[in-house]
Amino acid sequence: MTFGDILRTAWSNLTRRKVRTSLTSLGVTVGIFTIVVMLSLGVGVQRVIQQQFDAIGLENVVVQPRDAERNPYTRYVRPEREVVISPAKIAEWQQMDDIVSVTPIVDVNESISKRLVLPGDAAATIAVGVDPGIGINNPFETPPTALAGVLRPTKDGEIVISQRALRRLGLTAEVNNLIGQKVQLIMETPRGESQSFDYTLVGVSSVDNNLVALTPNDSIALKAWWFNEPDLLDKEGYDYALIRAKDLNVARQLTTQLRAERFRVQSVETVLELASKIFLVINIMLGSVGGLALFVATIGIMNTMIMAIYERTREIGTLKAIGASRGNIRTLFMTEAGLIGLFGGIVGLLGGWGVGRILNRVALAYLEREEVPIRGDFFYIPPWLIGLAIGFGLVVGIVAGLYPAARAARLDPIKALRHE
Amino acid sequence: MGQSTSLIRTTKLQRTYQMGKNTVQALAGVDLEIERGTFVALVGPSGSGKSTLLNVIGGLDRPSSGEVWVSDLELGQAPDKKLVSFRRDRVGFIFQSFNLLPTNQAWENVALPLMLAGRSRSERRQRAESLLEQVGLGDRADHRPAELSGGQQQRVAIARALANDPVLILADEPTGNLDSRTGRDVLLLLQRLVREQNVTLLMVTHDMNAASYADRIVHMRDGKIEQIETIERTAEAVA
Ligand SMILES: Nc1ncnc2c1ncn2[C@@H]1O[C@H](COP(=O)(O)OP(=O)(O)O)[C@@H](O)[C@H]1O
Ligand SMILES: [Mg+2]
Repeated sequence: MTFGDILRTAWSNLTRRKVRTSLTSLGVTVGIFTIVVMLSLGVGVQRVIQQQFDAIGLENVVVQPRDAERNPYTRYVRPEREVVISPAKIAEWQQMDDIVSVTPIVDVNESISKRLVLPGDAAATIAVGVDPGIGINNPFETPPTALAGVLRPTKDGEIVISQRALRRLGLTAEVNNLIGQKVQLIMETPRGESQSFDYTLVGVSSVDNNLVALTPNDSIALKAWWFNEPDLLDKEGYDYALIRAKDLNVARQLTTQLRAERFRVQSVETVLELASKIFLVINIMLGSVGGLALFVATIGIMNTMIMAIYERTREIGTLKAIGASRGNIRTLFMTEAGLIGLFGGIVGLLGGWGVGRILNRVALAYLEREEVPIRGDFFYIPPWLIGLAIGFGLVVGIVAGLYPAARAARLDPIKALRHE
Repeated sequence: MGQSTSLIRTTKLQRTYQMGKNTVQALAGVDLEIERGTFVALVGPSGSGKSTLLNVIGGLDRPSSGEVWVSDLELGQAPDKKLVSFRRDRVGFIFQSFNLLPTNQAWENVALPLMLAGRSRSERRQRAESLLEQVGLGDRADHRPAELSGGQQQRVAIARALANDPVLILADEPTGNLDSRTGRDVLLLLQRLVREQNVTLLMVTHDMNAASYADRIVHMRDGKIEQIETIERTAEAVA
């Protein structure tokens, strides 16, 4: 018997009990459908997140100084730093091979009170924060853009202010015409001392907050005055440094090296690795639900095949009498069971794909309505999942067919021919 | 081969069945020789061992002791694989209840032994159509068994038994499910095939009228051969 003959014979046997065949393969369909939906969700969400992180740039490494162990008696004193991101360190990193850029970042604390004022206009004053400008976009927010001029100041004495803050100050003119405007930041300590700093506006950003952006040096100057420590930069250094490596491998090496130097290092990759581990666990759990459905489906196929063999006992006897070998009979019934599984698998895959597409549309519509700037397919079927779904269906069928087929092959032809 | 002209030869053939504590002797020492190209009818009361003898000769059942030779093959000792290929390539079976596959068209049923032998579909179709022509069903090749009368179904089954060009055809009560008129047609067809194709036909029946179409009648009783009759026919009677 050729493979084509076996397929054709198996097919005609399956189609003579269409309802039963369909119902039996429905079990497989449910199992494969579950697996496909679950896994494509797992894969899809992971992919969307990956894409967001890719947009940030996995080759970015964020370095922070490390605070020394705290002494309980110095609890109210600002902690000493064990390692410091000094200007010298920044220069050293910039000299390294395969480093694209190193950006020092200063965090001007929220608790440091500062007001933005228009010189000569006592009424125009608002409280503002200083945007540290980490340089990494939050994937869940629309990245800010420069409405006029630049997004970050490049020279000391320059300032970028959010459009919202400018409007609050009463500067309602066309943003381009505001470039060059002089502004002051006024700081006041609780003791009543105050100091003003002069800046020139070089850019208007779209940030939806009352924020200003300064150069690291200007930010340090604010902090130095506030804490009354003129050599703050020498003592504490910068608060962060963003190092952009040439590629992921360089970023990895750099991470290890800086950690050895006792710096605190965060790379997006570390976060992503953790995320993949979590997703792996979720995928396994969700996959198991489908696996359970498939186990039930296996029993269903087995039952159907045993029933079919009972009904077709005389036929099996006839085939054996006219020269079918045990192998022929076994292959025939295994093929029938395999086909039931295969069809269940294909239908389940198509169903999972269709439902995934619909849910993708729903999710997209929702995100657009909520103005979340994330796009991408949350249900994504990679090629391996197509193979897995169809292969699993087939394997379930074949496994379910093993015992019934062996039973059919073993039938004594004489008894089988006498069977009513 | 060299064993004179006899195709089948059994010596001291026994087949016993164990039924709980009881032992049933279905064949109790059968010595039988059948020559090539003869039509032999096996008659006897129900339970006399006719079907058992037929099954042993067809390689479907194995003797408990004794020998059964078909041509140069001793079936009692032959390995299972040998028996499968013996049934597939050298024997044709005809059953009382036709046993056609209901989902297959007439020609596909006829071609089943050829399919099992691995022949191509086009070759199968061609051979099946010529066989259906021979049994007078040339126009029914695409019909399914349910669309055919009992007599037509049995003729499809006869064509199937001829498909592998067998040396031996074994028929167990082939007219048992047919009315006497269609039964007669089937018997005449079988008789003609033996004449024209020089096959050997062993037919079990309990109907003496059916047996009268054979060249020889073997009478069985209690698992033994009681008597063998040779039917003398005049030239006209054959025609
Ligand atoms: N598989 C079997 N198991 C037990 N007894 C059997 C079996 N097959 C046949 N027999 C017994 O063997 C004897 C001969 O049976 P069988 O050859 O079918 O007779 P016939 O075909 O002449 O009616 C009967 O007594 C029958 O009951
Ligand atoms: Mg019988």
